[in-house]
Amino acid sequence: MKLMRNLKRISALLLTVFVTLGLVQPAKAATPVTITIWSFGNVIEPWAITEYKKLHPEVTLQIKKGELDAHHQSLITAFLAKKTPDIAAVEVSYSGYFRSYPSYFEDLRKAPYNSATIEKDYLDWRWDQGVGYDGTVFGLPTDVGGMQVAYRVDLFKKHGLPTDRKAVGELWPTWEKFISTGQKYNSKLTTAEKDSCKKKKICYGFIDNAGTIYNAVLNQASAKYYENNNTKDGKLIYSTNPAVKKAFDTTTKALKANIGTRINSFTSDWNVGMNNGIFATILAPAWMMDYIKQQAPKTKGKWDIADLPGGGGNLGGSQLTIPKSAKNKTAAWEFMSWYLAPAQQLTIFKKYGLFPSASSLYDDAALKNYKDPFFNNAPVGAIYTAGALQLKPIFEGKKQRAIDNIFGQALSRVAIGKQTPAAAWQQALSEIKKSVG
Amino acid sequence: MSVNLTKDTDFDFDESGKPMKLKRRRTPRWRKMSLASYITLALVALLSVFPFYWMYIVASNGNEEVSKVPPTLVPGPRFPEVIGDVFTANPFFGWSLFNTVFVGTVVAIAQVFFSSIAGFAFAKLNFKGRKLMVVFVIGTMMLPSQLGIIPLYMLVSELGWINTLTALIVPALVTAFGVFWMRQIIDAQIPNELLEAASIDGAGVFRVYWSIVFPIIAQSGFVLGLFSFLATWNDFLWPLLVLNDPQVFTVQVAVNQLKSSYTLDYALNMGGAFLATFPLLILFVVVGRRLVSGVMDGAVKG
Amino acid sequence: MNNKSPVSDASQTSGNSNGRRGRRTAAPSPWRADAQPGAPKKRKPSRRDESGSIRALNPGWGYVFTAPFFIMFLIFGLAPVVYSTYIAFFNWDPLELEHPFVGFDNFALLLDDGQFWMAVGNTFSIWFFSTIPAMIMSIGLAAILRNPNLKAATFWRTILLVPNITSVLAIAIIFGQLFGRDFGLINLMLDIFGFDRHIDWITEQIPSHIAIATMITWRWVGYNSLIFLAAMLAIPNELYESASLDGASKWQTFRYVTLPQLRNTITFVLIVGTIGGLQVFAEPLTLGGNFNGGDSRQFSTLTLFLYEQAFVNNKWGYAAAVGIMITLIVLVISAINFWLTRRIASEDSK
Repeated sequence: MKLMRNLKRISALLLTVFVTLGLVQPAKAATPVTITIWSFGNVIEPWAITEYKKLHPEVTLQIKKGELDAHHQSLITAFLAKKTPDIAAVEVSYSGYFRSYPSYFEDLRKAPYNSATIEKDYLDWRWDQGVGYDGTVFGLPTDVGGMQVAYRVDLFKKHGLPTDRKAVGELWPTWEKFISTGQKYNSKLTTAEKDSCKKKKICYGFIDNAGTIYNAVLNQASAKYYENNNTKDGKLIYSTNPAVKKAFDTTTKALKANIGTRINSFTSDWNVGMNNGIFATILAPAWMMDYIKQQAPKTKGKWDIADLPGGGGNLGGSQLTIPKSAKNKTAAWEFMSWYLAPAQQLTIFKKYGLFPSASSLYDDAALKNYKDPFFNNAPVGAIYTAGALQLKPIFEGKKQRAIDNIFGQALSRVAIGKQTPAAAWQQALSEIKKSVG
Repeated sequence: MSVNLTKDTDFDFDESGKPMKLKRRRTPRWRKMSLASYITLALVALLSVFPFYWMYIVASNGNEEVSKVPPTLVPGPRFPEVIGDVFTANPFFGWSLFNTVFVGTVVAIAQVFFSSIAGFAFAKLNFKGRKLMVVFVIGTMMLPSQLGIIPLYMLVSELGWINTLTALIVPALVTAFGVFWMRQIIDAQIPNELLEAASIDGAGVFRVYWSIVFPIIAQSGFVLGLFSFLATWNDFLWPLLVLNDPQVFTVQVAVNQLKSSYTLDYALNMGGAFLATFPLLILFVVVGRRLVSGVMDGAVKG
Repeated sequence: MNNKSPVSDASQTSGNSNGRRGRRTAAPSPWRADAQPGAPKKRKPSRRDESGSIRALNPGWGYVFTAPFFIMFLIFGLAPVVYSTYIAFFNWDPLELEHPFVGFDNFALLLDDGQFWMAVGNTFSIWFFSTIPAMIMSIGLAAILRNPNLKAATFWRTILLVPNITSVLAIAIIFGQLFGRDFGLINLMLDIFGFDRHIDWITEQIPSHIAIATMITWRWVGYNSLIFLAAMLAIPNELYESASLDGASKWQTFRYVTLPQLRNTITFVLIVGTIGGLQVFAEPLTLGGNFNGGDSRQFSTLTLFLYEQAFVNNKWGYAAAVGIMITLIVLVISAINFWLTRRIASEDSK
């Protein structure tokens, strides 16, 4: 039974080896300070990490990025286990939730942070999104997800639309006109393009996904699903706020007009669609510019940016926070305040398109005059600044994201023709009532 | 080999023991393999390995190639570059591989050991309440794992094991069905007489287990260990839940990490997925046959 | 968690101890090529008499040997389940300090929750698409592999296990791309075969179930065919003898000899497939990218729904209630399956 003897030897050996190794934890880099950061998307970009390393060689930044929902969920469970990172990015739609639980974060008003000293440098309503129900400043704003319309100049030309960005912006001062422009575009599709869709194969269209209109319209209002009544949880107004119905109805109109290709953002079809000119417009927050550049580099110079219908919009954005259970709070604050300082925000905008929340920059010539060659040398700085200034502050409530999800699903059902808009609306309302109240 | 009455013999014995003549079979028992059968098998084999090939194609060609219509079907030159990108995106990817091997091995060894002693006890030791316990064990195999996952997380959190490999190892040290499998194996493979003889010679129970039972079931134990290792390697949800730092990630979480930004870098993801799967393929080439036997044994013994 | 080891699917025999499994004869199986010479042959399960057939071994050790398992199980298996059952009666927001007791409210809400029922429907639909075709394919493959004239048998058998060892995550990404509406390979191939439209495999409900079922089928067909192969090899030759003496055709032999003998295995694979199917999670998660199960919840499965309640809506009590419902469904289905088996078995033995 040689095999048996050998097996015994091997297993004994392996056991010894691994038990020994097990006593040796994977060693962390032996530097004076390591700051752990949890983030998502492109918040905290590679440039910031290498740059900060140059300035502070003794500090190592260790970043873990997750998908949006997963990231916030692991943050919650980390709070419970009291094993949190030193810095955590919180997306705007989740800040509504965390605003009810400021006790899990460091109050940045207190020493040594003294956030009051820098408050004036930032856009007020973006600042407010990091304030808890009891006034605790639990996070500082990173960027502003100001929205405009990214459009393909070549495709507009091909389908009989003007190409100059001013003229394009004038095509759609309202959402209704946006929808009718879309229909006009679709009517000018070539025979080949129309056939492709008749055969239910690739459908070309005006916009990637008409569903994105919902958030664009909703965020132009002054209130969404909640009203700030200075209580912990806020007051639910989703069923009575006319802005919500308006956003819903505008979107269903767009869906019925069939101006979109029904491709979801950040899917493989979307990337391919960008590369192959399947759709001509994307409602683009500033941070999406970098995404377009990365996924469709060959389309450089073919895009431009025009004004969003209805003037100004917001999608996304985040706050940086320091959880209460963080280990290296002072070092974390040093990095955070450096990262969010106007100078760095400007650099980040130029490199990655994240639009600054540091309002002191809005008069800065560097921002105003910045042109992006990928987008046909559009003065993106000036365009997004104008948009940001038009935005009204919006109170994000506790179960913001859950409600967004339910409305999103209702719109999807309308999009695939499974329900009428009226029925979908009713179902959404009742689902929200059950889920949230 | 089983007695084959068909081919050569003309005789058999009926119930009362009298010899009787048999008719010769007209047709051979098993027909020759048809071309269609081989084609089917080849197709299935191709489909089985195609995703690996696809992983390699995407990883070696880069994103733009993938976006082409129709997509490329041959490998490209950029594989080393993409793998480099994986390690840039996650410098601890190598550690993830190590962590997974470590956890997988420890868990495998522990499962084999603890399952076999418990299985031995259930099969051969007659202690009070044994039957009840066995029924209990079987019953617990029915419970879906999701039922307890949140409290388990809370428990592990209280114990301070969040973000450590301990959280992956300890709850998995022995499973109900490892115990059951071992019980079946031992029941089938160890004759009682052998054990009686040994204990009459004065061996204590543990000695009996270690010197007699374990050597005999070692093969099956090895297979159990293999399956356990594979399960650990492919486990995704629990490590995702309890591990937070890239240094302690296991390989599935590390691959998932690559998906994390808004940008879906296919080449990167497939490169990571390839790295996460390739070691298993190697392992499979080495011990694949044993796995096959393990699966087939288990099917019949139950 | 480690509970979903593939081994569990192979040897799980819960509830089916009706005595018809395994070989009756003592002949060693011809296909155990790696059986060591001199290793004891397989034997009939020993009849256990309660007075103890192994008198000489101290039974007290039984407690010692089973203790590690029971301790671990009690702490990490049972306690969480019990606690889960407890939480289900509360409104449990994880970050809150207080958790109000709500009695059966969570369950009442759940039974009234359209999203829950949608998840139930989706899960069963996916189960249907993945279990039935997979079973047919596995049996068919096993029949091909059964033939002793097959060349390179070991190679074919081994290759069939390859899908089983790949990571669910990687496969979900790949299949997600293959099933893309406009540019996925599957639709492109449909184009080549002259199909007139692209199917939206992800957005539409039934196609999304088929897509997910395909992933599951891909993973398990090879594995299950090995199980069926083993069972087929265990069918006594005498049965085939009598069949051929009676002049049965190939198909008749299969239908009236092979298939009935496979009955236990089919039940076993069915139960295991059901329990696994009810827990489908990683595929819809990766396909949809979030816990919703698609924009219109078209592939929201029970487990995904549980996680959504727990980690998106932060309603741990509600999630625990979902977990309990899943368990009840599993138990009911296993019971039905078991009962069905008993009935068919007892019909058989007439």
